[in-house]
Amino acid sequence: MDLNINGARVQVDADPAMPLLWVLRDLLELTGTKFGCGVAACGACTVRVDGQAVRSCVTPAASVAGRNVQTIEGLGTPGKPHPLQAAWIAEQVPQCGYCQSGMLMAAAALLERKPKPTDADIDAAMTNICRCGTYQRVRAAIKRAAGAKA
Amino acid sequence: MRRRGLLLGATAGTGALLIGWTALPQRSRVGLASLMKPGERDIALNGWIKILPDGSVVLAMPRSEMGQGVHTALPQLAAEELDVPLTAVRIEQAGWDAVYGNVAMLVSGLPFHPREEEREDGFGRAKAGRWVVSKVARELGINATGGSSSIADAWDVVRVAAATARASLVGAASLQWRLPVEELRTTEGVVSHPSGRSATYGELAKAASATPPGTVQLKERKDWRVIGRPAPRLDVPQKVDGSARFGIDVRLPGLRYAVLRMAPALGGAPGRIDATAAMAMPGVERLVQLPAYAGSTAGFAVVARSYWQALQAVQAVRVDWSRPAGAPMDSQEILRHLEAAVRSEEGYTFHREGDPEQVAGGGRTIEAWYSAPYLAHATLEPMNATARVRDGRVEVWAPTQVPQMCRNVAARVAGVPVDHVEVHVTLLGGGFGRRLEVDYVAQAVRVAMDMGGVPVQLIWPREEDATHDFYRPAQVARLRAVVGQGGEAAALHIKSAGDAISPRWMERGLSLSGPVDLPDKTASEGLFDQPYGFEHQRIEHVFMRSGVPVGFWRSVGHSHNAFFMECFIDELAADLRQDPVAFRRTLLRRSRRHRAVLDTVVERSGWGVRPLPPGRARGLALHESFGSVVAQVAEVSLEGGRPRVHQVVCAIDCGTVINPEIVAQQMEGSVVYALAAALHGRTDIRGSVVQQRNFPDQAVLTLAAAPHVETWIVPSERPPSGVGEPGVPPLAPAVANALFALTGVRQRSLPFAS
Repeated sequence: MDLNINGARVQVDADPAMPLLWVLRDLLELTGTKFGCGVAACGACTVRVDGQAVRSCVTPAASVAGRNVQTIEGLGTPGKPHPLQAAWIAEQVPQCGYCQSGMLMAAAALLERKPKPTDADIDAAMTNICRCGTYQRVRAAIKRAAGAKA
Repeated sequence: MRRRGLLLGATAGTGALLIGWTALPQRSRVGLASLMKPGERDIALNGWIKILPDGSVVLAMPRSEMGQGVHTALPQLAAEELDVPLTAVRIEQAGWDAVYGNVAMLVSGLPFHPREEEREDGFGRAKAGRWVVSKVARELGINATGGSSSIADAWDVVRVAAATARASLVGAASLQWRLPVEELRTTEGVVSHPSGRSATYGELAKAASATPPGTVQLKERKDWRVIGRPAPRLDVPQKVDGSARFGIDVRLPGLRYAVLRMAPALGGAPGRIDATAAMAMPGVERLVQLPAYAGSTAGFAVVARSYWQALQAVQAVRVDWSRPAGAPMDSQEILRHLEAAVRSEEGYTFHREGDPEQVAGGGRTIEAWYSAPYLAHATLEPMNATARVRDGRVEVWAPTQVPQMCRNVAARVAGVPVDHVEVHVTLLGGGFGRRLEVDYVAQAVRVAMDMGGVPVQLIWPREEDATHDFYRPAQVARLRAVVGQGGEAAALHIKSAGDAISPRWMERGLSLSGPVDLPDKTASEGLFDQPYGFEHQRIEHVFMRSGVPVGFWRSVGHSHNAFFMECFIDELAADLRQDPVAFRRTLLRRSRRHRAVLDTVVERSGWGVRPLPPGRARGLALHESFGSVVAQVAEVSLEGGRPRVHQVVCAIDCGTVINPEIVAQQMEGSVVYALAAALHGRTDIRGSVVQQRNFPDQAVLTLAAAPHVETWIVPSERPPSGVGEPGVPPLAPAVANALFALTGVRQRSLPFAS
């Protein structure tokens, strides 16, 4: 199977039904994308496929062949972090940090669709679960990044 | 800064050097340099501090980072006393020596009433108990992260270790330059003299390692520049670029993945297993039976080349589960048993004051029954551990709050001596007390034993995590107050019933054959030590043994006891037609600290002053736990008949603050964690099977439902106390009291939505 992950073409030998999450984690060792529930409920596994936020734990790998998959590892670079990553640091969002990759990918998809999201937009788009309760800082960081983009 | 300086002038003779050594703090936990892992180029100055050639500092880290910020706060303590920038401090997992044990956590488990501890007259029971337990704790050296105790425990030892290292560095410069110590100063990792001489810590480290520290004195409060400042967390950058390594992210050459299934009924076991179809599936390598370990339920695991293959296969195994012995467990029935226990003559008295019996005969009695359900932790990172067993040695990688217990259980399971086990602690994707257990580590080691030296990562599916937790125990309480002749609340009598946590935890963690029978403070914490000045008090608890695996859930007994207590106080105020704030203030006349926190939250929330939009009401609660006092005011409305919490204002006195930003984070997180529990959190058990299996039915809070949280810190110069848990207890009663103000209906059981 040919996949395009973070701008690079990779070949994986996997069952086409294998969820993208496990292709990323177990075959490609891209462990930034997390496993939380396996049923698309928590969003820890969120990646972007052609810009859209997708829950990779229920996305068959074959369904993303030929499409652009972006994981947290491809969101920014150490030299050039994504504005959301910079905002996440400025707002000191993470606590345990486990859900944050998925949060950031969901937020990145939101900002691409709505560069100036309202509170209601953020409420609707950010359905990821954070058990540490970082939500208010997630909201603040999204707004900060949206401001920085303008 | 003023530190009484050391080193006997420039040319120290042997005798003087000895004086230097004996001046080391009491048989201290600073420890010798040999305790730290030797590095290629780093030089250890004691058991906690190493210096690298570039002058950066390595701090031994015995505590686990699960979001509470300890991997930043402990380095802050070291940076302060060493006079280096916080960013110059790196951490390295501490070794196994007793100096790294958490003494504060053990001491805080003693069931002494605060007033007994404050007594200055002689050597009372509380003082003696504290002394003995801290001695024992120091010898045991149990390295654990829990009970909101990390900072309280590290407060002296890390600062003293860093100050000791600094003293050696200054001493080395003093000897080299033949200049008196008093004339040297340290800034940003450099020792300098007004004459212009200077050297970096890196340059001085080797000489410092042979230089005794002399008299070590900690900085004065006024000289702090790191403690008390909102420094950015050191772990944040790696948590926003995906590079942070949690337990589940451990990758080793040849790593295999194991997925388990445990008997659906708690305490059950697999009977006949047919794995023919499963073993024929692609990537599948073996099936390993798992007996009940450290309190877990028995089951089996399938090993494959990826998690997904192992999951498919484990689901394809056909198995007849055997039922556990005894009557099936049912959470509703257990609640009825607890109520009967409260009505019985049984009970252990945790606190008695005045003469509750006599007063109870005289005045008017107000009584209310409260209850709380079993509740799962639901950390976002599912239980997992990685293990490799080869050549009689075991290596474990685990997101754990108790590395030592992991080491012990790994040794027991593999049948090797403890010193043949190495445990690497990873970051924790949430702990909340669940990772004080070692069941999943024992299972991973057992699987690894069958792998011929190949490492294996055991991952629990979410459904196993939800159905095989160590749950917060269900609890029932009857609260009674007697109103005296003058209309004042004169007597308080509380009787609760529920399972003990600590004894069961000790039994399974230490693999004891017999039961531990101790009055478990966690059952009554927040009740027996409540701060209100009732003249007559009797607080008792009936210890039950339901058979349900119970464990420490963020803030433990306080999580439900604060709900019982603070709602009941609100009931009393309403009954006596008093304002809830004024009523509390009167009863807190002997506790200035609680009053200050109450006053802060009242002022900041606009209680009784700032008008609310129509359809909204405020509720207030105040609670002390883990040495800290927190008050919260919740602003609540009803949306479609369901409670909606808009805002929570918190005031906290947690003693000396290390990092106010982390305190605020913990208040925000505690509110969300507690609100999810208050509105939706329940674990139902029917026929010994847990009914909630994954997030759709394990209701948690999402961003859209999260209130805005505001944190106000009450200044204090007391030693630091807990922050990770104390924000949890007041939330449920604050919301319940707001709902009463809104609807006139009392919430007396958790969760509210049921």
